Amino acid sequence: MADMESANTNTLKNLGLLLVVGITALFILLFLFFYYSGPSRAFGPEQPIPFSHNVHSGVKQIQCQYCHPYVAYSNWPGLPPVEKCLHCHNYIIAKHPWIQKEHQYFDTNTPTPWKKVNYVAEHVLFNHQRHINRNLSCQECHGQVQNLHRLPHKHWYMEDCITCHRRMNANMDCWLACHS
Amino acid sequence: MNRRTFLKVAGMGSLSFAAGCSKPEKHLYSLVKAPDDMVQGNGTLYASTCRECPAGCGILAKNREGRVVKIEGNPLHPINRGKLCMRGQAALQGVYHPDRIKTPMLKENGQWRAITFPQAEILIKNRTDAAAAKGSNRIRMLTEVVGDTLLSIFNDAMRQWRSPEVLIFEPFAYESLKRANKEIFGINGLVSYRIDKADLLVSFGADFLETWLSPVEYARQFKQMHAYSDGQKGFFFCVSPYQSLTGANSDLWLPCTPGGEAIIVLGLIREVLRTGRDKNLNENIRKKIEQFSSFYTRETVVKLAGASSERFDQLASHLIQAKRPLVLGTGTGGGGENGFHTDLAVNLLNLVLDPDLPTIDLGSRHRVEIAAEHAQVLDFFTKLQKDPADVVFFNNVNPVYALPSASGLREAISQPEQFTIAFANFMDETAERADLVVPVKLPLETWDEYAGKHHLISTLQPAMGKLTGAPDLGGLFLRTALYSQKTSLNYKVAVFDQLHNGNGLKGEAEWVQAIQHGGIFKPPAPDTLKTITAPKLELLNRFAQSMQSISKSVSQDMVFIAAPSIRFFDGRGANKPWLNEVPDPLSKVAWQSPVLVHPQTCEALNIEQGDVVRIESQWGRLNAPVYESDNVKAGVIVMGIGQGHSGYGRYARNFGSNPLDLLSSATVPVSGGRRLWIDSVKIQNTGQHQELATTYGSRIQHGRKIALHITTEALAQPKPAKPSGLGMWDFPLTLPLPEGYDPSRDFYPPIEYDDYRWAMTVDLDRCVGCGACAAACYAENNIGIVGEERVIEGREMAWLQVERYLDPDDMEKVVFLPMMCQQCDNAPCESVCPVYAPHHSKEGLNNQIYNRCIGTRFCSQNCPYKVRRFNWFEWKWPSPINLQLNPDVTVRSKGVMEKCSFCIQRIKTARNVAKNERRLIRDGEVIPACVQTCPTDALIFGNLMDTASRVRQMVADPRAYQVMGYINTKPAVIYLKKVRHVI
Repeated sequence: MADMESANTNTLKNLGLLLVVGITALFILLFLFFYYSGPSRAFGPEQPIPFSHNVHSGVKQIQCQYCHPYVAYSNWPGLPPVEKCLHCHNYIIAKHPWIQKEHQYFDTNTPTPWKKVNYVAEHVLFNHQRHINRNLSCQECHGQVQNLHRLPHKHWYMEDCITCHRRMNANMDCWLACHS
Repeated sequence: MNRRTFLKVAGMGSLSFAAGCSKPEKHLYSLVKAPDDMVQGNGTLYASTCRECPAGCGILAKNREGRVVKIEGNPLHPINRGKLCMRGQAALQGVYHPDRIKTPMLKENGQWRAITFPQAEILIKNRTDAAAAKGSNRIRMLTEVVGDTLLSIFNDAMRQWRSPEVLIFEPFAYESLKRANKEIFGINGLVSYRIDKADLLVSFGADFLETWLSPVEYARQFKQMHAYSDGQKGFFFCVSPYQSLTGANSDLWLPCTPGGEAIIVLGLIREVLRTGRDKNLNENIRKKIEQFSSFYTRETVVKLAGASSERFDQLASHLIQAKRPLVLGTGTGGGGENGFHTDLAVNLLNLVLDPDLPTIDLGSRHRVEIAAEHAQVLDFFTKLQKDPADVVFFNNVNPVYALPSASGLREAISQPEQFTIAFANFMDETAERADLVVPVKLPLETWDEYAGKHHLISTLQPAMGKLTGAPDLGGLFLRTALYSQKTSLNYKVAVFDQLHNGNGLKGEAEWVQAIQHGGIFKPPAPDTLKTITAPKLELLNRFAQSMQSISKSVSQDMVFIAAPSIRFFDGRGANKPWLNEVPDPLSKVAWQSPVLVHPQTCEALNIEQGDVVRIESQWGRLNAPVYESDNVKAGVIVMGIGQGHSGYGRYARNFGSNPLDLLSSATVPVSGGRRLWIDSVKIQNTGQHQELATTYGSRIQHGRKIALHITTEALAQPKPAKPSGLGMWDFPLTLPLPEGYDPSRDFYPPIEYDDYRWAMTVDLDRCVGCGACAAACYAENNIGIVGEERVIEGREMAWLQVERYLDPDDMEKVVFLPMMCQQCDNAPCESVCPVYAPHHSKEGLNNQIYNRCIGTRFCSQNCPYKVRRFNWFEWKWPSPINLQLNPDVTVRSKGVMEKCSFCIQRIKTARNVAKNERRLIRDGEVIPACVQTCPTDALIFGNLMDTASRVRQMVADPRAYQVMGYINTKPAVIYLKKVRHVI
């Protein structure tokens, strides 16, 4: 009897352990799923103003360089100053609450805290000018931005650079190309 | 564990796991309005003026995204022509200094309280109004040398307050030189010298490469006459009790007893007259001069001045033979009676040598001449003590540090009934004693004008955004004192008006042009010298009388000299980390202020290098470590001015000691200045020892092929055939090009290059060792500041350092050698790295890949030049000094090796431009930071693949060699031997 009882408690114990392990694994799986492919990952971070690349670049066909004016002259493409948004939006949907928020940034002289989506390691200096002047379109690296509302996170790795540089027979020198 | 706890723990765990894994999100901030002239990622240059010393060099401030990241010389500026000294380079660190005062500070019951800028202005206004209402002469002001606009506003304000004009205070005010110029040339001021026009230069202590009048300008001129070119090289003799950096660059140093300089000048005058070398001298005057100089025979001079008779003869014979000789008087510190006598005699000697004075420009005058004499400054404080004012202003001066405490100025400043206001950005010794400290905009942040010479009006403009809410000083005075008088209370308008009314600028367009060029550069005033035909007889009589006292002022005891410092000037540079970290050019000691003692004296006193000695004079005492130096005369001990602050921020406080503490504050009546040396000091070993923060391994080269020199005679010989051996001295110069490949010597195959192979030449004959290149390198390449302790451990991070070698046969002779990564073709570092972190680029550079480096330090061990630096720690950039970091250069972290990159970021910038224009990079388009700032053009950078490039031409010079080239590293830095005269 005593044996039976102990066998029963053992089974129960084993079952409990199994349950614990199972639930833990479930949590981990759920976590991994949401961390790597949750809906927010696909959309990218929520921006202070829900700016849509699709509306501006896709629907309205505004050139990328209009808002990122330095792309052909500098390492960095530049972000449009608040002033520039208002050049158009003083006339277009001027009363929209989001545009009102933009006005607030302008009136209080506050830089818009856009969230960064494209990440390159800090010891890498990507030179936009060189690539644009080689007649590479923005989409070749950044994808079909004009079809997206919110831009997703993207981490750039050395492999991305090297693959393309090999294919295009471009500069493979460490310092001359990417680092300094 | 129950179910609830498990779920809690699991939930919290996964949440913290998720939070811990994701990197913190970064922001990209867009500007509200974009300035027209800003392209993100590209620098914008703003022309301005350096205000680190009164010389007034033009600068270009490079602004990146709103902050200045580098200062360079303005090539259009006639004073410095694109070059800067190390103090100019370091001006940037003043702006971003972590100890910069951000708000006005009011002292209440001995405690500082921060107040707002409007509150401070109201306080100043109320105090001054109340003082002015009480009567006349209730307000006093002491200011640094400022431009005419600011000076006239100060004086208008003082008139408004019914008070005396402001007094201009400079610790180095050249009193003796001004008085000597007045006596001989009739000019109570500081004339310019044309060192470049001379073929022989004699300096009686004038340290024109370091601090004297306008060091960058004179360094350039000096090398125009003294660098070897076309078989010619001028002569430079230096007569002084110790070798300053200037003295170390002389062809012959004639050590003399302090106070003996004037006697030697008189001896030279006698020799010149005796041999008939004098020109067109009036017979009466000649007789008179002959009469009083006849006493100073060779024997007398040698005996009184403690000089070597052989060297005196050499100096005299060269002077007599010279076609266009120029003699310079005492240095920046020569304010005593001996300075006056020497300067007077030197002016006379120049006149005797050639009354036309072809090498002196009397029409072009240095602005620092407006500074008050020491006597007036002392008088200012004496008066304050006797009759305390209601309000006293100090504008960016630190008399408490610069004047000895014996002058009683500390008491005068902190009298309870008087309200002292200091305009200062740092809590220095003077500001600490004030009642109100008001920070004002620094030169890089404000509109202004400053004429380093009266005809060269340099402009200043804001080169960056505001870091503090500080107002400009001009505006503050306009608002608090002149609000009822002036139509505009904007200081920029005042500068605009000054340039229009005072300097003939017409209209807005010319103003914009002046701002862009960095100033209005007019020719000097017509030379008034032609009117001086000869000195007046009565003057000579007076002179003869005053000379009689000369021999008394010669000292035979232990003499202590406080020397103006190339790094700290009068002490104002002591709070800049770069200036502390770049070692002194001669002693190679960083962060400390050792006392330089001759080995003989050391032996006599039984002290060694590093022993801490106590030096005592009747005025004060100090403790300092000893540095054994062959560059001082036996019996003379020298300490650089600048350190020993009790305040002035974290980089200045409690570093080194202040040599001025030992000096008397008394004015020397004959010169109006003060002596920066004192005799009969007591020196005594304390028994303590202090490790010196030196950056040299050895004083001599141990017979190796490092810093070489050649004599003019040897150069005149026909060129020997190209050597072809394998030994140290017969190994040929091997260019880092495929043509340098020799199968009999080389193990590795040749490296092919397409268009470029970067290289540098360093002309040791042009290098004066000033260290401007090293400071520029720190600024450009985000090099870490390691501090005193780490320098002692040998962990300094300098990518470029100027090495100093003494000649073992004659320890007075010095060679300077800028040493940076040699970018070898057969680089020893590349072959030992287990992870390929040093990588040979296709343009010949030795790339250090930081993110690949795992820190084995094999490369550093295998580098024969010892130019690789390892990051033993994460170096600190206390906010906001991190804002100075160059965004184009990676900041290295702990565990990573680093070294000179030939300023790869600049090569990349030039490459970008060339590629956009579909051409190759032109010669001279890439200028590394060190090359850019070198005042004497000793460094040249370029492409060896281009046979027409300057650097390629230079390597064909017979003086060209490679440091330790015999180990077949094929360095791309090619040195040209220093040229020495055989005297």
